[in-house]
Amino acid sequence: MKIFSESHKTVFVVDHCPYMAESCRQHVEFDMLVKNRTQGIIPLAPISKSLWTCSVESSMEYCRIMYDIFPFKKLVNFIVSDSGAHVLNSWTQEDQNLQELMAALAAVGPPNPRADPECCSILHGLVAAVETLCKITEYQHEARTLLMENAERVGNRGRIICITNAKSDSHVRMLEDCVQETIHEHNKLAANSDHLMQIQKCELVLIHTYPVGEDSLVSDRPKKELSPVLTSEVHSVRAGRHLATKLNILVQQHFDLASTTITNIPMKPTFSVFDQEEQHANTSANYDVELLHHKDAHVDFLKSGDTHLGGSSREGPFKETITLKWCTPRTNNIELHYCTGAYRISPVDVNSRPSSCLTNFLLNDPRYKIDGSLEIPLERAKDQLEKHTRYWPMIISQTTIFNMQAVVPLASVIVKESLTEEDVLNCQKTIYNLVDMERKNDPLPISTVGTRGKGPKRDEQYRIMWNELETLVRAHINNSEKHQRVLECLMACRSKPPEEEERKKRGRKREDKEDKSEKAVKDYEQEKPWQDSERLKGILERGKEELAEAEIIKDSPDSPEPPNKKPLVEMDETPQVEKSKGPVSLLSLWSNRINTANSRKHQEFAGRLNSVNNRAELYQHLKEENGMETTENGKASRQ
Amino acid sequence: MLSVCILTGNTGILSIMPTVVVMDVSLSMTRPVSVEGSEEYQRKHLAAHGLTMLFEHMATNYKLEFTALVVFSSLWELMVPFTRDYNTLQEALSNMDDYDKTCLESALVGVCNIVQQEWGGAIPCQVVLVTDGCLGIGRGSLRHSLATHNQRSESNRFPLPFPFPSKLYIMCMANLEELQSTDSLECLERLIDLNNGEGQIFTIDGPLCLKNVQSMFGKLIDLAYTPFHAVLKCGHLTADVQVFPRPEPFVVDEEIDPIPKVINTDLEIVGFIDIADISSPPVLSRHLVLPIALNKEGDEVGTGITDDNEDENSANQIAGKIPNFCVLLHGSLKVEGMVAIVQLGPEWHGMLYSQADSKKKSNLMMSLFEPGPEPLPWLGKMAQLGPISDAKENPYGEDDNKSPFPLQPKNKRSYAQNVTVWIKPSGLQTDVQKILRNARKLPEKTQTFYKELNRLRKAALAFGFLDLLKGVADMLERECTLLPDTAHPDAAFQLTHAAQQLQLASTGTSEYAAYDHNITPLHTDFSGSSTERM
Repeated sequence: MKIFSESHKTVFVVDHCPYMAESCRQHVEFDMLVKNRTQGIIPLAPISKSLWTCSVESSMEYCRIMYDIFPFKKLVNFIVSDSGAHVLNSWTQEDQNLQELMAALAAVGPPNPRADPECCSILHGLVAAVETLCKITEYQHEARTLLMENAERVGNRGRIICITNAKSDSHVRMLEDCVQETIHEHNKLAANSDHLMQIQKCELVLIHTYPVGEDSLVSDRPKKELSPVLTSEVHSVRAGRHLATKLNILVQQHFDLASTTITNIPMKPTFSVFDQEEQHANTSANYDVELLHHKDAHVDFLKSGDTHLGGSSREGPFKETITLKWCTPRTNNIELHYCTGAYRISPVDVNSRPSSCLTNFLLNDPRYKIDGSLEIPLERAKDQLEKHTRYWPMIISQTTIFNMQAVVPLASVIVKESLTEEDVLNCQKTIYNLVDMERKNDPLPISTVGTRGKGPKRDEQYRIMWNELETLVRAHINNSEKHQRVLECLMACRSKPPEEEERKKRGRKREDKEDKSEKAVKDYEQEKPWQDSERLKGILERGKEELAEAEIIKDSPDSPEPPNKKPLVEMDETPQVEKSKGPVSLLSLWSNRINTANSRKHQEFAGRLNSVNNRAELYQHLKEENGMETTENGKASRQ
Repeated sequence: MLSVCILTGNTGILSIMPTVVVMDVSLSMTRPVSVEGSEEYQRKHLAAHGLTMLFEHMATNYKLEFTALVVFSSLWELMVPFTRDYNTLQEALSNMDDYDKTCLESALVGVCNIVQQEWGGAIPCQVVLVTDGCLGIGRGSLRHSLATHNQRSESNRFPLPFPFPSKLYIMCMANLEELQSTDSLECLERLIDLNNGEGQIFTIDGPLCLKNVQSMFGKLIDLAYTPFHAVLKCGHLTADVQVFPRPEPFVVDEEIDPIPKVINTDLEIVGFIDIADISSPPVLSRHLVLPIALNKEGDEVGTGITDDNEDENSANQIAGKIPNFCVLLHGSLKVEGMVAIVQLGPEWHGMLYSQADSKKKSNLMMSLFEPGPEPLPWLGKMAQLGPISDAKENPYGEDDNKSPFPLQPKNKRSYAQNVTVWIKPSGLQTDVQKILRNARKLPEKTQTFYKELNRLRKAALAFGFLDLLKGVADMLERECTLLPDTAHPDAAFQLTHAAQQLQLASTGTSEYAAYDHNITPLHTDFSGSSTERM
């Protein structure tokens, strides 16, 4: 696939000279509704379109299909030529829509049949077309900027579709020569410019159109290479619907389109998008709708060898269409289907009743857009995921707090980037509530799986719960000062005598491993461990006064840690598995648990934290300064 | 924005890159190979040795994959249908008889049939053709097939390119010199060309011996059967995974960006979205995501959240109990009916989702979107997707009863904007009739009447079709004269006014012919109360 193929830039050059005001000599009856009226009314005379009207509506149809299927990166520049060239729009994406073009065409109006034919020529338009092809599009500019030194990879090709009324084959040849010469000149200009690009390849599609019933003065000619840069083809087409059909075929060729006809579409009266009064509104029938889309959509059908090709080939050999039968979708069908491709479509007959009914059924109500903020939303999303996963137990039986409805108000807000005063208040309420539960000796949802007997005692259960809650809150204390306040409240409420903490710290060995959540917590704490503990003391003092009534929670180092109280988020820490290899003594089981439990309660000594097999290397910084590897302590650099 | 989606029927497939081994068992494969100081080998023994190596590799690293074994001479036979049982494949290798001449085309037709029957046309398949480079003689020989390639009709189409996404690997039990001495290499290269360049030819480097055959198959394994390992991340949660089959490098634009893009080995989840919102998006390819640690325990991968209420004694189960993020993710996506959006590289995303393989089993899968900032237009730019909590109000509503998707495109497509096309006379007639019908129901239908009138007016001005404006003006004047006595007096006023305005526009010169000018209803003494509201 190439973005900058000939189809990236299409220039329409439509003749606006006096002879284009001539009738196409194909009549349209427009006064059809005379039945049921008093006899004797003569319908108004049929009217006919001018060559200009035929040219404009056919080229608009070309653009309509192109914009439907390629809303981006396929651009049209519309030029009208009479005594000069009128460029109706630019390559910018904002200019690429039917409404803009229609408004610009209305401003130009139909050709003036009384203008001096000598002053008017299609040549003005063709010269302008070459000029405009040299102009860089925003996509080309973007790609060139992005590619930097490889900017020359960005191609500049284009197509000129010229609709005119030529005098003869030699007149056509003169037009071709003019285009070729102009390209040559403009490429020289472009070579010395930053804003222009040389044309590498240009496809000229000359369409000679003439009134129905006249003889063509110009002969058809297939695509021919006039120079390495320019190819040209000539189509001699009668005006009216013949011209429209030709442009429909061309748009399919130019943009690799194919046709699919959806058959047997049921249309109930409720589908009707028109007034109820329309003649057929109350009949229910099955309809067929033909759609155009990129050819690739058919590749799989063709490969499967199961082709339904050649359905309705009423409009020539190019009009091959694949037939699909409509399948009414089941409602509430939210399944993922394996979809190898989705292709934009454009109905061939856009405002026919069946087409409108189908597209209106498929189109949903307009939804609204998301506000863009300065920060990239996706980065904010990643940031949120990071916060939410700082402490995330993966197994239900390995968490207490996430099994407790009472914790939800705190757990749901603590992960936020910032807290409101109300959030803090709710967190505090949650903590007080837990204290209350503890005083009332309410049971906790602690798993007893794998333990013999009844599991841990009630006060031990609460200790586990408080530990876990602390881990969760600690993971977020650096989010904001308000998070800090939640921790302060928590520490005050689950009060332990500081001396006891100190005593424990001294007497304990520490396990080598630590779980991820703790590691994460440490990352957030490391910056100010000292201030923290200083402040903590103060808070504890205050807390004691505040909660004089609340029962002091005693931490009992002698009671065993429950077996399920494993580090929680440890999927890639393997020592757990090793334990299960052979028989383990009760003593080692017990001491392991106690060690695990205790290791959670204090800031680990840095040396031990980085130790390998309980041996810490001294003077590591010397090594680092010498640029040597120091990451051999088993902590994989996964983060 | 409407699109045609190509959905393939075959959804419940676990294996997504099956292999067909096509083994030449013609007589020429029994040609002896001189190996110094050891027993005599035939080429077919070398081939079997190489295939054994491939099967062993697959049994270890690709145990979820299905492989079939086809043997061929002038006829072909499916020795082992698609299976994961590599022992069966291995056994079949040692039970091969010798037959007559090589006839590649019929064997390739056989491969087409086998694959299409089993997998349809959308599943990518690797075809490993093992031959000695003797391409047969006369009718049915590869030379004959290639010579007649241009004279085929649809009914006897050459089997290449395969009618499914494929790679054709040709393993030659011959070295380059031998193949080049005839036109064999050229013919084989033609085969790869005919398969749209998808595939490669491998030849033996140096003398024909077990060691060199091994190194040739080693190259095939490196190219086509190397497991793709990655780390799946979601914030602080991570898991080592194998992505299977290997994601193929992707070329975005052959001209401006010819370097194939390869996906990251760090697959970072950036968010989650409802299945209904992402719909069934078009994808480049889809892959199983297998947690590596669990995979060792057998092929019971990704079957749901590990249940904790089982006996803890067995060591196997404990290993299975190491909480794995893949299991958590898979279970959650399944329960919530969501997919996870995963970043595959700069401006390249994919999705992770749960897909049912059977009623009881489902798998964590990953599909790759096309690279680019906006692979799915109905979601808008990927970088603009953000957390719900950032929105001023919940875009899904308080009761989860709405959705911000699909996004409305900036410019509506033609079918959504009520465009006017008069290429067929019926288009024009319908529009005129609409005006006329409403004209007869004035003043009740005043608003609709003027809406349709202005639509016709705008189109006529753009197309320079001023005669139509004049014609419709005449028609409205006539309608005015035909009004029954019972008609509301306002009707006549409005018809006359509308006809005048159209008449003015049809001159094409006055301000009345401005595109943005709208004909508004005439304000009459009657119009205040009776006008319908739009």
